[in-house]
Amino acid sequence: MNLREISEQLSLEVCAAEEKLDTEVTGGYASDLLSYVMARAKEGNVWVTMQSHINVVAVASLVNLAGVIITEGTKPEPATLEKANQEGIPILATRLTTYDVAGKLYELGVGNEGLTE
Amino acid sequence: MRELSLHILDVLQNSLEAGATLVELVVEEDLAADQLVITVRDNGGGIDETTLAKVVDPFYTSRTTRHVGLGIPLLRAAAERCNGDLIITSQVGKGTMLRATFQHSHLDRAPLGDMTGTLLSFILGGICDLSYAHCVNGRQFGLSTAEIRAELGDVPLSHPAVREWLREYIAEGERSLAA
Repeated sequence: MNLREISEQLSLEVCAAEEKLDTEVTGGYASDLLSYVMARAKEGNVWVTMQSHINVVAVASLVNLAGVIITEGTKPEPATLEKANQEGIPILATRLTTYDVAGKLYELGVGNEGLTE
Repeated sequence: MRELSLHILDVLQNSLEAGATLVELVVEEDLAADQLVITVRDNGGGIDETTLAKVVDPFYTSRTTRHVGLGIPLLRAAAERCNGDLIITSQVGKGTMLRATFQHSHLDRAPLGDMTGTLLSFILGGICDLSYAHCVNGRQFGLSTAEIRAELGDVPLSHPAVREWLREYIAEGERSLAA
């Protein structure tokens, strides 16, 4: 499944790097601690977080994530979106909680082949 | 990061990379003022003004292996999330001072974490002297590796017996502050 399909299914607001929405998603990771995302998220994952700082783009770019879903109605900062467009990291926003987004992704079959150890 | 000590280790590492031979680390916890302040001063190569403006930018790094450097940006975000801030001042050829301030009681403030392990891993790196002070409401624990080395004479800090003593000494000092 790619980000465009996920975005449509979950009614997400596309905030940055729309041209990269066809990227295939390999699974998901949810955390608000950026150091953990750096260490544990896998390339091609979609990352679910309520953080919206520019550091989010740096981490996503470092790990080569497919994109970021920003939850809880948090508005991504302008600097974040500008950098995300430059780096080609899709940013999607929603009023849903991180828990609900993760649940819906699981239902869609994103990364639910087995639990991460 | 999960613990502030991990941020501290990261900042100390920056000082090493700047060629410092002495680093001063002060952790001040003032519950009346509801503040936790981490200050690191080094005598390393310093940072020029243009670069200084960029070190809080996650897309700036002095490394050449990747284009993202998150040490300082993550610490700044952690401080700001807790109603605090991060200040860095520097003079080329003289050294750098970094100060991170946190609201002590803020719910999102990470605990200080394992200071014993953090200090040991830096000290046993053995390249750079460390002067450390941890103050909690006026009570203080501290150490100076220069003083300890002078006392030890030819015995290196990495000697197993010294290492064990250091671990106990720091752990005991930290415990006494928590009591």
